[in-house]
Amino acid sequence: MAAYLRPKRLEDALATMAEPGWVVLAGGTDHFPARVTHTPDEAILDVTALSELKGIDRMADGGLRLGAGVTWTEVIEAALPPACDGLKAAAREVGGVQIQNRGTIGGNLCNASPAADGVPPLLSLDAEVELASASGTRRLPLGRFILGNRHTARRSNELLVAVHLPAPALEATGRFLKLGARRYLVISIVMVAGTLSRTADGTIVAARLAVGACSAAAVRLPALEAALIGRPVTEAAAALQPSHLDLLRPIDDGRADAPYRRHAAATLVRRCLNELARAA
Amino acid sequence: MPTVSMTVNGKQVSGEVEGRTLLVEFLRENLRLTGTHVGCDTSQCGACVVHIDGNSAKSCSMLAIQANGTKVTTIEGLANGDELHPMQAAFKEHHGLQCGFCTPGMVMSAVDLVKKKPKASEHEIREWLEGNICRCTGYHNIVKAIQHAQQTM
Repeated sequence: MAAYLRPKRLEDALATMAEPGWVVLAGGTDHFPARVTHTPDEAILDVTALSELKGIDRMADGGLRLGAGVTWTEVIEAALPPACDGLKAAAREVGGVQIQNRGTIGGNLCNASPAADGVPPLLSLDAEVELASASGTRRLPLGRFILGNRHTARRSNELLVAVHLPAPALEATGRFLKLGARRYLVISIVMVAGTLSRTADGTIVAARLAVGACSAAAVRLPALEAALIGRPVTEAAAALQPSHLDLLRPIDDGRADAPYRRHAAATLVRRCLNELARAA
Repeated sequence: MPTVSMTVNGKQVSGEVEGRTLLVEFLRENLRLTGTHVGCDTSQCGACVVHIDGNSAKSCSMLAIQANGTKVTTIEGLANGDELHPMQAAFKEHHGLQCGFCTPGMVMSAVDLVKKKPKASEHEIREWLEGNICRCTGYHNIVKAIQHAQQTM
């Protein structure tokens, strides 16, 4: 029978992962539903006892460090700056309360579903992921970590230990909008997250917009972001051009077809910008 | 086989389980606590909700061994002998169930809600129940029962 380990020390976890074949388990909210019809005889490394994966901390440089094992309930309950309002809104959309109690930020990223609710808001906060292995740690921007549908840059010997939100992105207001086929407990058709940084007179100095569930991995909208810089925040939504969404690659599936997704993405981006303009 | 031990409904229990045994399987098959139901097996329906160290969780989506050392409360742990828990009494009085399949999970979620947010509005109650699916009642009487239990718990 395959092994199960729940180490208390990070170095023990990383030493274990240096051997091939270990499946990392945190909240389990994606893991178990994927194993209902077949239970592979796989070795499980349960990372929920590692203190390095816990807690939300303000760093000396003003950035935030979220342990990869932080649950969505902990995100909802944490005192976070207004830039993280979109992240908190997304946390409330991840499953129901019991899923939010167990599911983790790190699991959401490593599972790499195109419809993962956590990814667009973290992209809109310039998030970086911290990966550790027995031979050291490295950091990657989130956009270079999630490479496609269920595909990340994580090497098999690496553990995602934390998500870092840099200080400049926290000097902003944030929003998250999700469209599903019903109000609750639903997989997203389109998600949009955004943060805007502005001067005292309301001129946009930085814009970070991300769209999820419209390509194999959620993407930022760099052309729109560039067009927003220097505009008054009240005119943000008017800057949106159809070409700003050309990089989306929506698919047809049971939840929606591609033209609908593209149309809905434009609508949600506009709404997101309008909500950000109204935010103080 | 690994041994797990935990406190279930105030009693220390332990058992040998195959490593991939889910918590809900351990509760139902090893401990014969069959009040916790399995509806969907995919962490959606909420029939399997129990409390783990005071927080509601879906026992179909964790291993028994992950609950090692924790305090677990199941629907069987709510009543005090023949005296129903106030939430159970409220479900009975307001007819918050029809077939009863979802009821154990519904009650466990509802107890967690009243503990965490004692003054939750009707809207907040409905939002909280998004992880508990009932196919009979239309939720109306479930919400009424929970509002009643907010006064009696």
